[in-house]
Amino acid sequence: MKRVEVKLSLPVVAPLLDVIRELSFELEKILAAPQALHDLDQEFRGAWIGELLEGQNEDLRALLALFDGEFFAEGVVALDETNAEPIVRACTAFRLHLRERRLKALSDEALETGDIDMEGLDEPVRKAFMCYLFLATVQELIIQHLDSTIIGS
Amino acid sequence: MPEYRTHTRTDTRASTEQQLESAWRVVVLNDPVNLMSYVVMVFKKVLGFDETKARKHMLEVHEQGRSIVWTGVRETAEAHVFTLQQWHLTAVLEPDETR
Repeated sequence: MKRVEVKLSLPVVAPLLDVIRELSFELEKILAAPQALHDLDQEFRGAWIGELLEGQNEDLRALLALFDGEFFAEGVVALDETNAEPIVRACTAFRLHLRERRLKALSDEALETGDIDMEGLDEPVRKAFMCYLFLATVQELIIQHLDSTIIGS
Repeated sequence: MPEYRTHTRTDTRASTEQQLESAWRVVVLNDPVNLMSYVVMVFKKVLGFDETKARKHMLEVHEQGRSIVWTGVRETAEAHVFTLQQWHLTAVLEPDETR
């Protein structure tokens, strides 16, 4: 089994986990990316959204599970074929929700380029933005280092 | 994925059959969050695109705000939309009025 171990800076990443846990709680009952489902009848739409939510929650749990005892002892997280897909999706869910709920003060262009004066941000926004960047880095790591046999294309 | 619902009411059966037989489009809309590399990966995985085709559609989404990524029968179109939404892309189903 292909496995990638990533050593993270504990003092930098650990505070971001509080934000991630809060987001996870907020996302328990809502979709990170609300979808237009005009062409489906109401009953089918309910089942559709329910299944999306269930999958989203499973993905979020997979990402949270990365930060276990080994992470807090060694600062190491392990990505492999069992968790790569759910984690890469969970990163997207968290990033979408961060933009919607925590980063409204920042323009989409600023979020895309990362060209932001961190010192000028209030603490909660700065932490949310750090989290946004951290999750993008995790996604890039998975996409670049776990090949198609892992991602399952 | 939700089970495809069987319509039993007589008054909806004809229109449902018509919907199933006509062509539908799967359209992906732009969003400001998803990384280009992520969108390419999702297109390859979900729709079976090669790298070139996936990048072409990703750029179409990025530059024009939308891209038609699949056209065909409704049931398969719904399945693609659902899977793209599982990956948090904004995907919608549209009737293909060109046919």
